[in-house]
Amino acid sequence: MSDEYQVDELYTGDGGTFDRQELLRRGAAAGLAIPTISLLFGAKAAFARPSARSLTPTFYQWIYNIHPDIPDTLNKQYAKKHPLDAKIAPVQGFGIERFVAEAKQKKSTWDVYVGMTPFVEMAQLIAAGVIEPWDKYMPAAVKKDIIPSILNEVTYQGHIWSWPFLLDIIVQARNGELVSKAGLDPEHNPATWDELISMAKTVVDKKAAPFGVTFDAHGWRSLAPITHTFSPNVYYGPGLFDFTSDAALNALDVMKRMKELANPNVLEPGKTDGGVNATPDEDAFAARQVAYYVKYQNAPIRFAATWPDPSQLRQAGLPKQPGGSGATVFWTTGSALFKYGQNKQQAADYLKFLTYNPVIWQRSLGTAEKGNHAGQLAPYSSLWNRWSKNPPSWLPKWGPVVFDQLKVSRAIRTNKFGLQQFVIGQPYWEKYLKGDESDPKKAMLDAKNAVYAEYKKTK
Amino acid sequence: MAARGAVARPPRRLGRVGATTRRVGTTWPYLVPALFFFVGWQLYPIVRVLWISFTDYHFLTGGPTHWIGLQNYTDAFSDPLVRKGLMRAAIFTAVFLPGMVFFPMVLAVLVDRVRNSKAASTYRLILLIPAMIPGPLIFVLWGWLYSSAIGPINYFLVDVFHVYNIYNEPQWLGSSALVYVSLAMMEWWWGLGFHTMFYLAGLGTIPKELYESARVDGASEWRVFWRITFPRLRPILLVLVVLRFGTAFALIDEYIILGGFNRDRPTYTWTVYMWDNAFQVGDWNQGFAAAVGLIGTAAMLVVVLWLFYLFRSRD
Repeated sequence: MSDEYQVDELYTGDGGTFDRQELLRRGAAAGLAIPTISLLFGAKAAFARPSARSLTPTFYQWIYNIHPDIPDTLNKQYAKKHPLDAKIAPVQGFGIERFVAEAKQKKSTWDVYVGMTPFVEMAQLIAAGVIEPWDKYMPAAVKKDIIPSILNEVTYQGHIWSWPFLLDIIVQARNGELVSKAGLDPEHNPATWDELISMAKTVVDKKAAPFGVTFDAHGWRSLAPITHTFSPNVYYGPGLFDFTSDAALNALDVMKRMKELANPNVLEPGKTDGGVNATPDEDAFAARQVAYYVKYQNAPIRFAATWPDPSQLRQAGLPKQPGGSGATVFWTTGSALFKYGQNKQQAADYLKFLTYNPVIWQRSLGTAEKGNHAGQLAPYSSLWNRWSKNPPSWLPKWGPVVFDQLKVSRAIRTNKFGLQQFVIGQPYWEKYLKGDESDPKKAMLDAKNAVYAEYKKTK
Repeated sequence: MAARGAVARPPRRLGRVGATTRRVGTTWPYLVPALFFFVGWQLYPIVRVLWISFTDYHFLTGGPTHWIGLQNYTDAFSDPLVRKGLMRAAIFTAVFLPGMVFFPMVLAVLVDRVRNSKAASTYRLILLIPAMIPGPLIFVLWGWLYSSAIGPINYFLVDVFHVYNIYNEPQWLGSSALVYVSLAMMEWWWGLGFHTMFYLAGLGTIPKELYESARVDGASEWRVFWRITFPRLRPILLVLVVLRFGTAFALIDEYIILGGFNRDRPTYTWTVYMWDNAFQVGDWNQGFAAAVGLIGTAAMLVVVLWLFYLFRSRD
């Protein structure tokens, strides 16, 4: 039986083999070294002296995906003039917790966030002290150039909090080939909801497609814009959507009739961003299973690009019932200025370069290569004035038609429940759509009460 | 050169203090980093969440945080979504656990019988492939598989075998009747190799002579399994059931990625509700969210203790 000293000696080799202690020592060193090295690499940006940091914008991933010119061309072009270190933002599912956590420590890894939508997360970012207004940094000429309804959207409590960039408007779209196959005129824009639903039914009856019409089940992409076609004056109290308004009830009735002609999984969640994106309506329209579509304009453009003949896509403003306002919903995806970021004037210069860049708009609106249409619109009057006076060859016919709806359109009001009110209310109005609740007024009252109950919990 | 294994020099005489010092000096430096991470990344967060659950802490708003005692717990217990969320998690766990227990067990018994060592290694390697794939990729993959419009499962069911048509095809993730089974199948597939290895390790400890004796005595395969294999796998079973019960009941990633935040869906469980309150809704009432999380944790602890009692040694 060997004592403890002898055991150690027994393990000591002469041939350069590890002993137990050496193994443990090296293992501990490696175990500590790896996180230490990664910490040092990760902390590099935070430790950088204020004047040493390049302008650091951070982008929501989808913007890079559908505007590849930004990382591939434009950022490189700008970086030749001024150092630029663009990143992808950690904001899956519109999550802003990282931004809020850094602001609580009075620091920011980034200077500007490109990807904020006013009605989604702007109010929360303001309440948490993460962002500051652009008032001091945005040139007066740019402020004057922003389309008035958009300027209204990005202004909150008297200040401009979002530098608008990509404009989306809820429109109607259709597959011209399927519409023709049903014996209908592919160039005719349904003027009323009754007409659209009737045409969708014809598509199904004539077996031109399995489904007549589809829509995105999320409230801000369907219920709200359809409501606005009846009336945009449907907000009450703290800016919450009034589910019990006549306009909203009419919209719910339209959705119920559309659902009967839609793909069966139309109410299912999407595959990304917590169910918000990559939704079933997109699959159905891309697969040419449905003729008519209600969504923001860049969706039909992106999915029509997968068709054998993308030129079959037609788009127009939403239908309007007689007596209705004919409005819709729009929103801009813009940029927020981090309060604890750096290079603020530089950030304004960069955004002016980006948002006015013709490469963005030609790719976004033009009918260039297949699959290269982002389909989003520009937020500046000067650009639209120039294009209407001298229409460029790449500007599609639907561009000005859809843009015209802005004159009567309203953004969803900015507040902490701008988006969440539709998430909270959705289970209730869906009960009516599925037939589990026969009284639409009860369904909508339940939705309104559920949202208000959550609102009352806020400070 | 001294031969390996031989004592090269006389042993040092350190004395008792020296021995203790040496023992401490050669063990604690290796324990301290692990302790540091355990306290900082496991213990401290638990204590902090416990403290937050007794306050009115809202993450988004500034201002002082106040102690409110059991108010968050009272609100959570009276919130129907909390009760519904716990029930939904329990239902999924009940659907998931049996498959998680028995499929890998059967597979392990079959793989254990393979005499050819190369074939056995190949089977083990194939079984472990899903375990190597990161979770989010698994969810994206199965989200595509289950997709009605573009997924291959419904393509074969509708377009190839004509079992269904486009109007009545299964909504694997959209139907309340199917979603739990769909998610369970994904989890079974993902964990199959890992769980099978657990059982194979357990099967390796069962003396082969027991099987030989039983077969000589005329025992059927079923009797051999039930009387010899299954009882000796009990410790492995306990570990697996406890571990997998915990992960199933506290599932969240799959629900968020494949189910979204619709509160009416079966996938909106207590974990999703907790996350929703903590990071999305209103001012991010993390005091309330912490209380929901701890209520769920307490429920899990009760079940785990019962499982330990159920699987106690009866020797």
